[in-house]
Amino acid sequence: MSSKRARQSRQAVRQPVRPVRKAVSSTPVWVGPAAVAALLALVVAVFLVYRWYTTPLPVKTPVADQTQQVISQITSLPASEFDTIGQGTANNLLRPISGTPLSGASGKPEVFYLGGEFCPFCGAQRWPLIIALSRFGTFSGLKASASAADIEFPNTPTFTFHGATYTSQYIDFRGLETTDRDRNALDKPTAAEDQLFTKYNPQGTIPFVDIGNRYAFTGAMYSPEALAGQSWQAVADELKDPTSVQARAIVGSANLLTAAICKITSDQPAAVCSSATIQGLEQKLG
Amino acid sequence: MSRAQAAAILLSVAGVGVSIYLTLLHYAGVTPACPVSGAVNCEAVLSSFYAVLPGTSIPTSVAGIAWFGISALLWAWPFGPLHLAWSAVGLLTVLYLVFIEIVRIGAICLWCTAAHVLVVAIAMIAVAMWTSRERAAA
Repeated sequence: MSSKRARQSRQAVRQPVRPVRKAVSSTPVWVGPAAVAALLALVVAVFLVYRWYTTPLPVKTPVADQTQQVISQITSLPASEFDTIGQGTANNLLRPISGTPLSGASGKPEVFYLGGEFCPFCGAQRWPLIIALSRFGTFSGLKASASAADIEFPNTPTFTFHGATYTSQYIDFRGLETTDRDRNALDKPTAAEDQLFTKYNPQGTIPFVDIGNRYAFTGAMYSPEALAGQSWQAVADELKDPTSVQARAIVGSANLLTAAICKITSDQPAAVCSSATIQGLEQKLG
Repeated sequence: MSRAQAAAILLSVAGVGVSIYLTLLHYAGVTPACPVSGAVNCEAVLSSFYAVLPGTSIPTSVAGIAWFGISALLWAWPFGPLHLAWSAVGLLTVLYLVFIEIVRIGAICLWCTAAHVLVVAIAMIAVAMWTSRERAAA
């Protein structure tokens, strides 16, 4: 009895199936492709809105005095800050290379940088480069700059090496920006520099940094995202806090660069190179 | 072989062509002929961090050669669920790449878009064939 009822009940459930199949059979062929196209259009629209919503507005570039204040602030971080952060969150991109030791115009070991003002990864890497190099010498003529607005990590706040000078009793530095923020040509590398760039960086990636032909790397040691939407002063202020995202990325990268530079200066100056943090990183670099 | 299948094969071969072109340009270090300002900027896309497969120096267009190549072979066989699944893989990859272009890079590469349109067209053929197969079965 109960099995008969169950059978009737199953039949009752099955009955509505037929009309559903009939409805599918009458669906025109074009509906499927049209649905795919409509869905794609919707998703692309969502992407465009998301991009618009998340793109940081161009931050007003600081005037010369403000820039100088920011530079002074980031190049006078206390030794304790470097020691507390160590490598921080920086990626060790430095790879040992074996070429004829690179020397600069004054015959000292040279640090060579090649990048472009439009490039956000160059922009991110300039912060730790300036901090590290300032532990061995002094920059003048650095100007505030930002990466292009029509690129990944747009408007990344940074500085430019174009037109800047650097003096040090330990090293020479040559920083070239091949294009400006709008990708117009700026600095032109010499034939020897071109050769160096091609030899150690066949993919032609920027930024390219060669530390005395002892270490070289391309790219940035941290993501430019850490600087997104920040003003130059805000980044400088964050660097005072060794626990901030910016300090752990930028100062960590600066420590790695410092350790590599110490390798080409025979650990001079001792005040910088003999710290336990730098010595530890030097060992890590090999 | 139906006309739709022949069209899918032709689109796949065109996709292989576009992908080979982008791969050759990558290794030659040359940017394709394409506007370089504003929203359309092949240079910004093809010189970006995302222009290579993660952790390698292999250009993303190599994956395009593989996808279109397999697609061309697949469409030479009678239509089945595998065609739909392969199209879905292509479509999802295109969505990811378009996300990178629009959201991460903020620029569109015309040559990449050509390849994306070919994937979408192949996917639409697959969906249409699937729908007509369902109709025939009903």
